[in-house]
Amino acid sequence: MRGLKNYLIGLIGLIVALTLPFYTPEGYLFLFGMLFLFLILVLSWDIIVGYTGQVNLGHTVFVGLGAYTAALLQVPSRFESFSSALASMPPQNQFLSILIGGIVAALFGAAIGFVTLRLKGYYFALVTAILPLVFIQTVYVFSDVFGGEEGFSIGLERALSQSPVVRYYVAFAVFLLCFLAMRYIVKSDLGYRFMAVRDDEELAEALGIDVVKYKVLAFTISSFFAGVAGATIVLYRITVGPDLYDIPLMLMIILSAVLGGLGTLYGPLIGGIIVYLLKNLFLKTMIPQGAFVNDEIVLYAILIAVALLSPEGLWHKIRSSLRS
Amino acid sequence: MIEDIVRILIYGAVISGMWALVSSGFTLIFGVSRILNFAHGTFFVLAAYFAITFYKSGLNLYLSVILGVLLIGALAVAIYRFLLAPIREHEVMVIIVTLALALLFEQIILLTYGEHGVSLPSFVGGVVRIYDVPVTYKRILAFVFSIAILVILEIFINKTRTGKMISAASQNYEGAMLIGINVERIFTVTMFVSAILAGFAGIFYAQIFSANPFAAIKSLIFAFAIVILGGLGSVKGSIVASFIVGYVLATTIVFLGARWAEFVVMLLIIAVLIFKPTGLFGVEE
Repeated sequence: MRGLKNYLIGLIGLIVALTLPFYTPEGYLFLFGMLFLFLILVLSWDIIVGYTGQVNLGHTVFVGLGAYTAALLQVPSRFESFSSALASMPPQNQFLSILIGGIVAALFGAAIGFVTLRLKGYYFALVTAILPLVFIQTVYVFSDVFGGEEGFSIGLERALSQSPVVRYYVAFAVFLLCFLAMRYIVKSDLGYRFMAVRDDEELAEALGIDVVKYKVLAFTISSFFAGVAGATIVLYRITVGPDLYDIPLMLMIILSAVLGGLGTLYGPLIGGIIVYLLKNLFLKTMIPQGAFVNDEIVLYAILIAVALLSPEGLWHKIRSSLRS
Repeated sequence: MIEDIVRILIYGAVISGMWALVSSGFTLIFGVSRILNFAHGTFFVLAAYFAITFYKSGLNLYLSVILGVLLIGALAVAIYRFLLAPIREHEVMVIIVTLALALLFEQIILLTYGEHGVSLPSFVGGVVRIYDVPVTYKRILAFVFSIAILVILEIFINKTRTGKMISAASQNYEGAMLIGINVERIFTVTMFVSAILAGFAGIFYAQIFSANPFAAIKSLIFAFAIVILGGLGSVKGSIVASFIVGYVLATTIVFLGARWAEFVVMLLIIAVLIFKPTGLFGVEE
């Protein structure tokens, strides 16, 4: 019965997503496309934090890496001041760029994970917390290439498609592929090993699970999907900028996953939809000009309140109260 | 050349003293309660804004500074009691809540004071020239005060009864509970001490440079680098590491420019994690 109900909800979601362009104004449609790409970020963050139990505060680094990689592959001429060989490279295919964006992010993730995840305790959280600020600095220091604070535009002709409706469908397709892949991973043996590492490291080790290897693997997978999403965001919205590296985006991801419940797959999905629409549809218009609060303050306050009221995540709480 | 060396030696000492205050407070509360306080940089910058506000409303400078620091201590105690103590067992949530607090206060400061830096007048004026390098008296005073506060901290922890309890709780939390130490009270006291250490550093920082909303997160990066180098939880380690990181930063700024500071700090952290993961004085977890 439960299985049937879940399939029904999934089917309704699919139909809504596919028919959205027929009754949604263009401005909102753009937002929904962005929402799907944001959901990849939330789900991929949950793989390392919710499923493997390692607090990653630098997920946006991989979003940014994927984003800038894909953007520069579209406009290689920006490398002019750096290397003329790179600058004379022809622009690459968009879908190949998305894949390369993911791979670049995954390589960085593997390297960073290799250094920090060998150590038990808090080092991973401390180092990943610093990473976004370091990577934002690269944007300013090499502003010839990365475009500094303003970022740069890849031009509409290099976007996923010229048509906003087609771009929306591509964004949805990328989301669906990533979602199914991540769902497959967390429900496979690999996913159970990640959870074993999270629940009891010593026990997992005693069972012959190489704890460090699986932590690094989870981090690499998580980074890959963040890179894919970052690359797709750029090809979808046409511009790249340091906001994709920045901490406010990180907090949005955290809020979504915490609200939904860490390590529950569908919880973060719902949390992500609520948080993204709340921020972009309601908060911006609801808060009057000149008020003493802005949308970020409201979101941070919600995050603190949720963490205090139910440290295990709101989703767990709602579900257990529904059952009893 | 000699000027560069003098500049590095003097400026390095001044920023090292300030970062020693910040990072010893950060590592103190971590060592005692295992709370990784991402809002520590907020205490640093908010104390300066409090003092500036008191001063602008017409209060005496010394009184403004003392009130600012005490207020930040009180705020830290309130944050601990109402927000952190209930979720202390959930380590992930403690990190998330303190990070959210840091960003929340950053936005509040932005809305209240704007994004431009605000300075606090110094206790002393005047400049002395050492090998042609102008050194303001306020920098020298900040260094002297920083060292004095660290000495007082050392005496407080080693000689007073409360200090010894803090030390006991950081060595063995359950053991401290067993011999009848009220650990909840100790955590509250430690939070207060930790915050006023950061507060004093923030005051000196706002006198030499200026307080700005983004200094909270920036100061946190340097504090992280210092505690990783010194060993998480070791106050002595973080004081020694402050001087290493301070001089590395001063050298970077003199020869490469301030925008390279974060890179160099990051490289330092990675090097430490690869070659000496427990830091200089770290304890095995």
